[in-house]
Amino acid sequence: MTLAFVGGTHRTVPLALRERLAFSAEQAAEALVRFRERFPGQEGVLLSTCNRVEFYAAGERSDVPPPPPDQLLSFLAECRGIDADLLTPVLAGDRDEAVVRHLFSVAAGLDSMVLGEPQIVAQVKQAWSLAQESRTAGPLTGEMFQAALRTAKRVTTETAIGRERLSIPSVAVADFASGVFERFDDKRILLIGAGKMAGETLRYLRAAGARDIVVVNRTAGRADELAGRLGARAGRFEDLAAELSAADLVVSTTGATEPVVSPELFGQAESRRGGRPLVVLDLAVPRDFDPRIGQRPGVWLYSVDDLAAACDANRKSRQRELPAALTIIDEETQRFMGDLHHRSTAPVIERLRAGWSETGEAELDRLFRRLPTLDDAARAEIRQAFDRYAAKLLHPPLASLRSESRAGSPHGLLDALKRLFDLKD
Amino acid sequence: MVEFVSGISVVCFAASYAVALLCEASRLLFRSGVRGAAMIAFAAAGLVAHTLFLGWRATHEPAVPLSSAFDWYLLAAWVLAGGYLWLTIANPRTPVGLFMLPVVLGLIGAAQVSSRAPFPQSPATQIWGAIHGSFNLAASVAVAIGALAGCLWLIQAGRLARKQPPLRSFRLPSLERLAHTTERTLAIAAWTAAAGFFSGIILNAVNRQRGLLETVPWNDPVVLRMAGLVVWLVTAAAAARITSRRADGPRIASWLSLVSFGVLTASILWGLFGTTRHGVPPIQPAAAHADPEATP
Repeated sequence: MTLAFVGGTHRTVPLALRERLAFSAEQAAEALVRFRERFPGQEGVLLSTCNRVEFYAAGERSDVPPPPPDQLLSFLAECRGIDADLLTPVLAGDRDEAVVRHLFSVAAGLDSMVLGEPQIVAQVKQAWSLAQESRTAGPLTGEMFQAALRTAKRVTTETAIGRERLSIPSVAVADFASGVFERFDDKRILLIGAGKMAGETLRYLRAAGARDIVVVNRTAGRADELAGRLGARAGRFEDLAAELSAADLVVSTTGATEPVVSPELFGQAESRRGGRPLVVLDLAVPRDFDPRIGQRPGVWLYSVDDLAAACDANRKSRQRELPAALTIIDEETQRFMGDLHHRSTAPVIERLRAGWSETGEAELDRLFRRLPTLDDAARAEIRQAFDRYAAKLLHPPLASLRSESRAGSPHGLLDALKRLFDLKD
Repeated sequence: MVEFVSGISVVCFAASYAVALLCEASRLLFRSGVRGAAMIAFAAAGLVAHTLFLGWRATHEPAVPLSSAFDWYLLAAWVLAGGYLWLTIANPRTPVGLFMLPVVLGLIGAAQVSSRAPFPQSPATQIWGAIHGSFNLAASVAVAIGALAGCLWLIQAGRLARKQPPLRSFRLPSLERLAHTTERTLAIAAWTAAAGFFSGIILNAVNRQRGLLETVPWNDPVVLRMAGLVVWLVTAAAAARITSRRADGPRIASWLSLVSFGVLTASILWGLFGTTRHGVPPIQPAAAHADPEATP
């Protein structure tokens, strides 16, 4: 065993326990220092996000294997002051190839709550950086995490798993409002109410260039407070018709139980709009805009249900990309494990070469003593012939070793080579 | 090199554009990482061959661009193909080729069935001939681009009305941009078509006054269809302008641009297969005396 892992995610660990198990950056650094002291010579990386806590350990030397998953679990429990028995049923452990496959899937967002979400890549990078700073990172975890980031990049570029938007505000702005308007820096944005999705929608609109934002609320003080927080201008709720006539895009998130904008109220505003198109993102439940307003020419009205349906379609589209992403994970895992196994054969190959070279040198010395009349050019020719002969004889066993490494650790072949050529550890 | 350029035929660039069109159409069927590059490569190869072909004709034939119906159609196709390439490079996920490349291929097809004989010219009428041809070319290109924008507006508006998120490989420009393009191209088409028509009248008058070349009678089919096209385009541009401050203005302008394209297509087909005295060599006095209405 060279790799071990233990961890749990939102799927297996209840929220209450996940909150207790989660590590802040400082706590993670402390835990890594403690790991270094507890398991000297071992490599360790701790990945802690709001949806997962995972510990990856590695030990390259066969005589000092990494701590097994149950020890890692006890270590995590001790670090967070949680009874290990509570964690045993909800944390999973794995070894070697399964660890690599799991990390690659995590980095590619395939194990995330939102399939294909991109933030996890940055979190994996942060976890690796923290391990480097805490001096628990090593060559094996280094290669594994670099390969994980490479795999995530492949999945992103070769599949469309992360391309479709899944949050209602992002779909509202990027897929619908941007379908109507080319730019937002010359548009008037009207925010009605202060619902929970208002802030996030405005964040997307600001990123798209929106600058002229007006906030209206039944409670004037709340509108002032919200406008100040969002860097917008507060308007009067009594002037809603006038604000509607000046607006190009409306985000409505009030908690009203009846529609705030009736066809009659909208009719007053419509006559003063001069035919300009109006996008309405009605994110309130119950709806703030009477649905009949959406049938007026030049009005593009989207309710939460409309946007949620688009989000679902995007989610299904991501699911369709999953097989292609899993194929990439499989390819990269096989490649990584092949390299890892091949690397484990390096000491045996080294000893084999050294043994043959030693024998060859001894034979050459003997030969050159018997033939003292040989000049330097002739000696060099003979030496080269010996080297070529040795390389050709060594090639078939080394090629077999390389080929066997692709399928797994070639213990059988290594043992055979050691016995056949009397190689000592 | 000379041998290579002289060997370029219409089939070479038409085939390149056709392959680029197939690549565009395949967007609807499957996703590919190399399709964008292949599409641009084929369109660019076609445009280079197209340019070399027109350049060769301009330098080696007794004709310059716009001096025959054949060259006029090929030049119009060349302008649109260049526009397609530019739009595709600037907006790789917008399938403009699905709409523009059939027009390009249609114009190349029209060139193939039209006369390669140069329009008769004299030094006195050469400038007016060039102005007449250029304005008509600009009007046709503007109508084609306007129809493309109008068609995309209707598709995009339908998609947004049905609350459908955009397809990954089939991104459309915003309604705002499409409406702006449609209205602008309708106006440009009206102005340039009118300028082309009136420069044609002046060209005809110069010919008649100086007795240089054969004049085109006012009731010639070409005169009638061009007059009809100008009247339609001016009406359409005015209607689009008047309705631009209405909420349904962009939809009206989109339909007007599509109808304008239909009128232009009908006009071109009428020109290809109808009889005319437009652009034919002058009748010799003896022949004219024998048969004043003869059409070569």
